[in-house]
Amino acid sequence: MGERARATASGPGRVLIAVYGIFALSATARAGVQIATRFAEAPVAYLLSALAGVVYIVATLGLAGRGRTARRLAWTAVIFELVGVLTVGAVTVLDSGDFPDDTVWSVFGRGYGFVPLVLPLVGLWWLWHTRPR
Amino acid sequence: MVVLIATAALALFGIGLTIAGRPPGRELTIAVGVVVALLAVQAVIAAARVFGGVTLPETGTFLIYLGVSVCVLPIALQWASADENSRWGGAVVAVAAGGTAVAVLRLQGLWAAAGG
Repeated sequence: MGERARATASGPGRVLIAVYGIFALSATARAGVQIATRFAEAPVAYLLSALAGVVYIVATLGLAGRGRTARRLAWTAVIFELVGVLTVGAVTVLDSGDFPDDTVWSVFGRGYGFVPLVLPLVGLWWLWHTRPR
Repeated sequence: MVVLIATAALALFGIGLTIAGRPPGRELTIAVGVVVALLAVQAVIAAARVFGGVTLPETGTFLIYLGVSVCVLPIALQWASADENSRWGGAVVAVAAGGTAVAVLRLQGLWAAAGG
C-alpha cells in the first residue's frame, strides 16, 4: 500500500468538519441577510462576512473531500482563514471605524466565542497531522 | 427553555458517547429525533405567530434561524452515522447540538426584542 495520507474526514476530523460546516452555514446565511437587507450601511463589513462564509464553505469541502486536490483546497482555505481572522481581528481592535458592523472575524471572532481564531489553528494542525508521509 | 435544556442534554449525551468510545447507534438516533421533534414544534408555533401578525425587528433573520435550528441536527446525524465505526459520531452530534442551542438563543433574543 505504501505511505498513504490519512483521510481528513476520519475520526476526530469529522468533528472538525462539523464545526466548519456550522460556521459555513451561519456565516454565509448571516452575510446573505446583511447584504440583502442593509448593504449600504457597511458594504465592506458585509462583503467581508460573505468572503468569510465562502472561505468556510471551501474549507469544509476541502476537509470533507479525499485526495490531493481536496487537501490542497483545505490548506489554502484554512491558511486564508487564519490570515483573515488575524488581519480583521487586528484592524478591528486598533480602529473600529472601518467596521461599523460585526463580521465573524471582528476582534478575533469575539462574537463567536473566539472559535474563529482557534478553528484555523486546529485545522492546520489536523492537516499537518494527517499529511501524506 | 425546554428546547435549550434538550439541546444541552443531547450535547452531553453525544460527548458521553465519544468519551465512552461508543460509535453512534440507535440510542443517539432516537435522542436526536426527540430533540428535532421539539425544535420542529417550536418552529411551527413561532412561524405561525410570525405569519399571524407578530412583527419582529428582523423577520428574515428570525425565519432563517428557525430553519437552521431544525435542519442542523438531522444533517449532523447523517454525518455522524456515515462513519459507523468511529467513536467521534457522538461528538459531531454534540457540536451540532451546541450550534443549535446558539441558534435558539438568538431566536429568543430576537423574540424578546419584539416584546412578544
